[in-house]
Amino acid sequence: MSWHNDADAGPVGGPLPSGPQEALHRAVRLEWITIGFLVVSVIAVGLVAGQSQAMQAAWAEDGLSLLPPIAFLIATRIIRRPPSLRHPYGHHRSIGVAHLVAGTALLLMGGILFISSVLGLIQLEKPPVGTTVLFGQQFWAGWLMIGVMIPTAVVPVILGRRKLRLAEELHDKVLRADADMNKADWTTAVATIVGVLGIGVGWWWMDAAAAILVSASIVYDGITNVKAAVEDLTDTRATRFDDSEEHPLIDEAEDLARAVPWVRQAAARVRDQGHVFHVEMFVIPEPGQDPGLEQLMALRHQLLDIHWKLHDVAVIPVASLPGYLLADEPRLR
Amino acid sequence: MRRAVPLLLAGAVGLLTGCGSVTVPADVDGTLDRATDGTLVVGVSEHPPWVDIDEKTGEVTGIEADLIASFAESINAEVQWQPGPESVLAGQVEEGAVDIVVGGLTTSSPWSSHLALTRPYATVTSAGGREEQMVMGVRMGENELLVELEKHLAREQGEVS
Repeated sequence: MSWHNDADAGPVGGPLPSGPQEALHRAVRLEWITIGFLVVSVIAVGLVAGQSQAMQAAWAEDGLSLLPPIAFLIATRIIRRPPSLRHPYGHHRSIGVAHLVAGTALLLMGGILFISSVLGLIQLEKPPVGTTVLFGQQFWAGWLMIGVMIPTAVVPVILGRRKLRLAEELHDKVLRADADMNKADWTTAVATIVGVLGIGVGWWWMDAAAAILVSASIVYDGITNVKAAVEDLTDTRATRFDDSEEHPLIDEAEDLARAVPWVRQAAARVRDQGHVFHVEMFVIPEPGQDPGLEQLMALRHQLLDIHWKLHDVAVIPVASLPGYLLADEPRLR
Repeated sequence: MRRAVPLLLAGAVGLLTGCGSVTVPADVDGTLDRATDGTLVVGVSEHPPWVDIDEKTGEVTGIEADLIASFAESINAEVQWQPGPESVLAGQVEEGAVDIVVGGLTTSSPWSSHLALTRPYATVTSAGGREEQMVMGVRMGENELLVELEKHLAREQGEVS
């Protein structure tokens, strides 16, 4: 571990405890494999793409798929940096920034591809696909395109499934975005194959239609990821790694605080910092039972012990709480 | 949206099996079928030694004219030569008035958005010492014609047997 903090304020311990650290190592290895595969795939698809719009869209998507793994790898290096006066919350937010960068790139490129495919269809561009000579054999280049697209349909799906498991364990949204894209890659590949087959039978519009489908799926990925990244960066209430629901640790932490004898009411503000959460636990003490320093620190440690994701916890005694923080608390409605 | 993909695939498979013996690739407009045992319309622009047009007789000769003549022979087609400048021919081939354009076109030709360029059949060194790759132009979307022409050129150049 590159840093350690056991003072009573700021992120506790090091960047990540050993369990998730190990998962992170596996994720890093998977992302390097992904990058290796994508580079080979980008070169291969680029060599055979020719003038098929669907192939060009698939090529662009492969190239773009490099961004989330690269952003992930950079972010995992940055989170190792220690918190400082200038970066008092530590560097876990770099995960969120990486998420936003990856999402924005997807959205922009998907949009450009979408527009160019629609224009191609409107302007009745009929893609020419001629022959290729390979090992002294001359054949229609469409067969080669299809041959290249088949492995690019299979490999990312396998990688994507393995990443998704690690993304949940790590609470890593960049990894999840990447895994989702990988899992969706087979639809891209199949759409592309259909487009090329369309050219083959003289249905030239099928190529543009497939390209539109592929680019629409890139745009969709982009919108989903930009939205999720912006919500996390603007401190929306923390959600699960797949943004499916509020993170259960919020309730767990509030329940724990409310169960403490000297606490009359408690509510938390929890924001997602990347792999880890920053928790501000506001507590109203029972009348006449103002807590001492030891009691406050004991509660802080109890909260930190719930889960490694609760990484930076502040317990703040207050006299009253605003209604919105208790909106999910049925007793006080 | 993603559900549309299997649907599209099913459609494509149905198309391929339903039509039985479809040639792949097929022409969008069936140009090769029309030219076979018929007439192949070839746009030519003067560009010796690739294309020479005799001013008096209108006779077309040259390296590319010979290649086209032997290609037409292989599909039992008569060649109808249509002389003109490249810019006019590019428009005609887009409209479908011309099937193939020849006249010393190279891969760096400015007409590649109007024409489907064949894969280069020869490499020559130009006067400026640059490597130029010689191609012909086929109407966009007529991929069967493009493939047959490319195969003929590769055979003539001894690239494949």
